[in-house]
Amino acid sequence: MDYGIEDKEQETLVRLRGRLTFNDHAKLRALIREMLQNKAKRQVLDLSTLEFVDSAGIGMLLIAREEMANADKQLVLRSAAGQVKRVLTVAQLNKIVTIED
Amino acid sequence: MNELPEVPGLETARVLVVDDNRVNRHLLQALLERGGVTRIEMAEDGNDALARLGTFRPDLILLDLMMPNLDGFEMCRRLRAIPLWKDLPVLVQSSLNRAEDRAKAFAAGATDYVTKPINAVELLARVRIHLQNRALLHDLQCFRDRTESELSLARKMQERLMPSPERLAEAEAAAGVDIAAHFAPSSELGGDFWDLRHDAGERGPSRTMLYMVDFSGHGVGAALNTFRLHAICQQMDVSGLTPAEFLATVNRRLCALLPNGQFATMLAGVVEPAENRFVYASAGSTRPMVWAPGDSAPLLGDSAGLPLGLLASAEYEERSLPLPPGGRLFLYSDGAIEIPVGNDVLDEPGLAALVAERMGETDGGRLLDGLLERLRAIGPIDDDLTALLLTRKG
Repeated sequence: MDYGIEDKEQETLVRLRGRLTFNDHAKLRALIREMLQNKAKRQVLDLSTLEFVDSAGIGMLLIAREEMANADKQLVLRSAAGQVKRVLTVAQLNKIVTIED
Repeated sequence: MNELPEVPGLETARVLVVDDNRVNRHLLQALLERGGVTRIEMAEDGNDALARLGTFRPDLILLDLMMPNLDGFEMCRRLRAIPLWKDLPVLVQSSLNRAEDRAKAFAAGATDYVTKPINAVELLARVRIHLQNRALLHDLQCFRDRTESELSLARKMQERLMPSPERLAEAEAAAGVDIAAHFAPSSELGGDFWDLRHDAGERGPSRTMLYMVDFSGHGVGAALNTFRLHAICQQMDVSGLTPAEFLATVNRRLCALLPNGQFATMLAGVVEPAENRFVYASAGSTRPMVWAPGDSAPLLGDSAGLPLGLLASAEYEERSLPLPPGGRLFLYSDGAIEIPVGNDVLDEPGLAALVAERMGETDGGRLLDGLLERLRAIGPIDDDLTALLLTRKG
């Protein structure tokens, strides 16, 4: 997994690329630290170019959600497609995270 | 900063000096003694050296190459052929100093090479380094051996979380079903788990609750969670619970235990013979598949639901699929649908198509084996893979 961060006026946009799996733990930890340092309240993860997520990857997104909440920020998962969208849907994660198309 | 470990006592290290020249042997001995080595033994040629290995058990060999009877090259080759000595440091000390000689010595299994005349400081420094490397390698090997034996024990314990053949046979007879099961963690331990509970029916109709669980991640952490879940399920009286109530109760208990970021998907269900249905609830598990004799493709059930351990107040929906006598139910962990195919993954429709190819197979065990073989041929399965095939007796 790979990511790029773009600071906008109202939100921080983080574009995730590739596969988010068990092996990306350290990388996602680093990303969460960067997101916590950003001023914007809304931290958007753009998932449109994320090809695959496994259960450990979902776990990391949930950790990000909690860390943002603890820092009074909001995590948004945006534009998931393909397998990633299917996984988010079957796990009904919209019940606990903000998910946007 | 990590301090490098002390050189494992030069004073306790055993060094075997192999040289046909007596003067050289004594020179090397004096040099080693000056450096603090106290346990030194001498050999006059390759044969003599090999004969002393077993009793002296050296930590390092200082080896001359040009010797009568058995030279250093051949001795080194023979030494390396003995598994016990394949990692023993062999420091060649020779007057041969052409590149070809060095290459030949390394090809024969030498660890290092110094040329005569010997420089005392350099030789001792190299001896020290090789003994240190050997000690580090030994530590690593011990750690690895211990970890392997612990994991292997844990693996046996994990396998015993699942029904024993006897308990399975009992439940199969009582519930009128046959169950074929497959459990393959991606490493020694896995985050998958399945079980069944049979109620004889003192407080209602007799029934069997079947469930399959897949914890997020894999490996030791996920495996520890399967033990937690097993304990939770064992303590519960499930006889009065619907599958949805069962999941909601397990979820509440898991929520209190799991750290943030860990969760489990789970499917629990009951075969209802009178209704010819499989009634189930799902916490974000994979989609269950059913088919009846004569069907051309499996029917996929809905499995949407919040995974366990994320929200204590979660409630689960009761769903059902037809399961007439002779009908089959197929449950599997996500390892089976996350196999990469091109830029995408196999996914449920892809798996259903593979199942459809094999629906004519009457023997459940053979059907499952054939399917798994086909899955492994598609691509690498880098997650735990558990699969259950239940056949209702006709």
